[in-house]
Amino acid sequence: MSVLEIKGLHVSVEGKEILKGVDLVLKTGEVHAVMGPNGTGKSTLSAAVMGHPSYTVTQGEILLDGENVLEMEVDERARAGLFLAVQYPSEIAGITNAEFMRAAINARRDDEDKMPVMQFIRKLDEKLALLDMPEEMAERYLNEGFSGGEKKRNEILQLMMIEPTFAILDEIDSGLDIDALQVVAKGVNAMRGEGFGAMIITHYQRLLNYIVPDVVHIMMGGKIALTGGPELAQRLEKEGYKGISEELGLQIEAAEG
Amino acid sequence: MKLNKQTTVLDDLTAFSKHKNEPDWMLQLRMQALSKIEALPLPNIERVQFDRWPLLEAEQAFQAMSADDLEGVSFQIDEKSEQAAVIQFGQHTVIEKLPESYRQQGVIFTDIFTALKDYPDLVKEAYMQLAVQPDEDCLTAFHAAFMNSGVFLYVPKDVHLTEPLEAHFFQNSRIKEPFVKHVLIYADTNSSFSYVEKFETLFHEPNTANCIIEVVAKPGAEVKFSAVDQLGENTTAYFNRRGHLMHHAHVDWALGVMNNGNVIADFDADLVEEGAHSEIKAIAISMGRQIQAIDTRVTNIGRHSIGHILQHGVVREQATLTFNGIGHILKGASGADAQQESRVLMLSDKARGDVNPILLIDEHDVTAGHAASAGRVDPEEMYYLMSRGISKEEAERLVIRGFLGSVIKAVPLKGVREELIETIERKLIE
Ligand SMILES: Nc1ncnc2c1ncn2[C@@H]1O[C@H](COP(=O)(O)OP(=O)(O)O)[C@@H](O)[C@H]1O
Ligand SMILES: [Mg+2]
Repeated sequence: MSVLEIKGLHVSVEGKEILKGVDLVLKTGEVHAVMGPNGTGKSTLSAAVMGHPSYTVTQGEILLDGENVLEMEVDERARAGLFLAVQYPSEIAGITNAEFMRAAINARRDDEDKMPVMQFIRKLDEKLALLDMPEEMAERYLNEGFSGGEKKRNEILQLMMIEPTFAILDEIDSGLDIDALQVVAKGVNAMRGEGFGAMIITHYQRLLNYIVPDVVHIMMGGKIALTGGPELAQRLEKEGYKGISEELGLQIEAAEG
Repeated sequence: MKLNKQTTVLDDLTAFSKHKNEPDWMLQLRMQALSKIEALPLPNIERVQFDRWPLLEAEQAFQAMSADDLEGVSFQIDEKSEQAAVIQFGQHTVIEKLPESYRQQGVIFTDIFTALKDYPDLVKEAYMQLAVQPDEDCLTAFHAAFMNSGVFLYVPKDVHLTEPLEAHFFQNSRIKEPFVKHVLIYADTNSSFSYVEKFETLFHEPNTANCIIEVVAKPGAEVKFSAVDQLGENTTAYFNRRGHLMHHAHVDWALGVMNNGNVIADFDADLVEEGAHSEIKAIAISMGRQIQAIDTRVTNIGRHSIGHILQHGVVREQATLTFNGIGHILKGASGADAQQESRVLMLSDKARGDVNPILLIDEHDVTAGHAASAGRVDPEEMYYLMSRGISKEEAERLVIRGFLGSVIKAVPLKGVREELIETIERKLIE
């Protein structure tokens, strides 16, 4: 079993403190949902875990099986087992999707243990089929000219190809129609198991009908305000962030979206 | 410009020409050019200072070839392949191979001095007559005077060759010797073929290179021209590749500018008659402290002529890369089309990339456009690639390969595409 521990995490962006003490423990075999109003710091949390250079950790710790993640470079974090499906993936001309994924897979392997091409292609075809993606997507340039929905699927494709220990999926549902949402959920559910843990960041409860979380966290004002089971997400759907925050006696700082 | 020469230069030149049994017109052309060098200016290449570069080093241009030159070097070609090939090392032609079927169709692919002896009229018709003129500037004059090796390729009327002809030029920098290479390609009416050339330097003596490559394309001729330039870091080079395109001739260029030393290059297509069409695609990498400056020019003279330029380059470390893209549409070239895209990617804070699109249009009824950019690698792209476990160096390589790949993708010959990719990989590991 692996553990990702986030302890008392404070993060600033451009000198402004966004996260004000986040505590969260994610284990393999678990799926956690992190919900919260817009602007509360959910993406900031994901970026800080992955090591985006614009986000500065001012206090607290992130540990992966006891190892200090904050001391690792972005690529080291990824090779240690972390994966982040981002809200707005970059478009990179000239590099095919397949080439990129092979480089990512082989970056984790020793020189004498690179994944054979045939094995890679077989795996790729299988995952493409599962995600209902046409084969030519693999030969297109990385995210270039992809629609919003195609980009999201492509993030999940990478997740399935790379098979990390922990995945953070940041608003993987935004802008998806119901069919695409189901496909993306199918991909994530296929990953579920003993050796995999996920943190699903979402604004809406809808996605959680398809990927049922083990734990739900509600984040407000740069902190985890409330933690519970899947029923918490349903409650949120009925009462809204406002209702919950009033009950908790919290002030919502950012505007509700 | 001052010529660095021995006092016996005129005697040496005459002796060399006699030794090679050159026709008299060739000796005249050399002597006239020699007399003009010092009065002529350097070519104008925007935004680069190269007036102090050692480009007029004439010393030892005509030293006698020695068998010692070839000691310790060997060259091979695939005996089984049916490819036409010429390999030259310094002034020596070490391998010449022309399939019998090509010979029977009248194809000539040989050392320039052999061609001057055996086909003087054919050479005379095109050698520095149509594409490049000896008295354009001091570098073309230097070339005309001191040319000391080269090849001639002639493909007769209506002859279509499927396999590319290949020339491999090794500069001999074991010794001090200017590398003054002339390639003359004469594509007769309605012929079609592909040609590939490669330039490399062996050994490390500082030397000058002055390479002029002329492509004369007669009406309806179709030429696919590819080059991979990899001259050494101690070679200061001038390249001039120029096409002279007649009625509905079509010349496609794929040029890999991968030298290791300082280079100025002029890649031009003169679309002199109606419907002439040239696509120039170039990729370049500058690294270390080197400076490479490339003028790519298309001149539309004929009506409905088409000239397109696509060039992408990468600059590393403290190197400089300049792309000047010049589209010139002359009066009378109605219906002409001139387009260009030049982009430079800088990989370090000290890398200098410069793109300079120039459109000169003297006719109304035409289409012309340009896109240009010089920028750094997007940190978001790097972050994205690295967030998948790819190291910084590998991510950078991917971005570069991608950036240059969009030009390589458009290169028609598969073998050349692979060669370019391999060369890039090799350079990026350095
Ligand atoms: N790169 C950035 N530059 C400046 N401000 C940022 C940046 N990223 C996030 N922020 C700010 O941090 C706050 C939290 O944003 P974010 O983490 O994206 O929230 P969420 O994902 O919960 O909607 C917002 O006020 C946002 O404007
Ligand atoms: Mg967000």
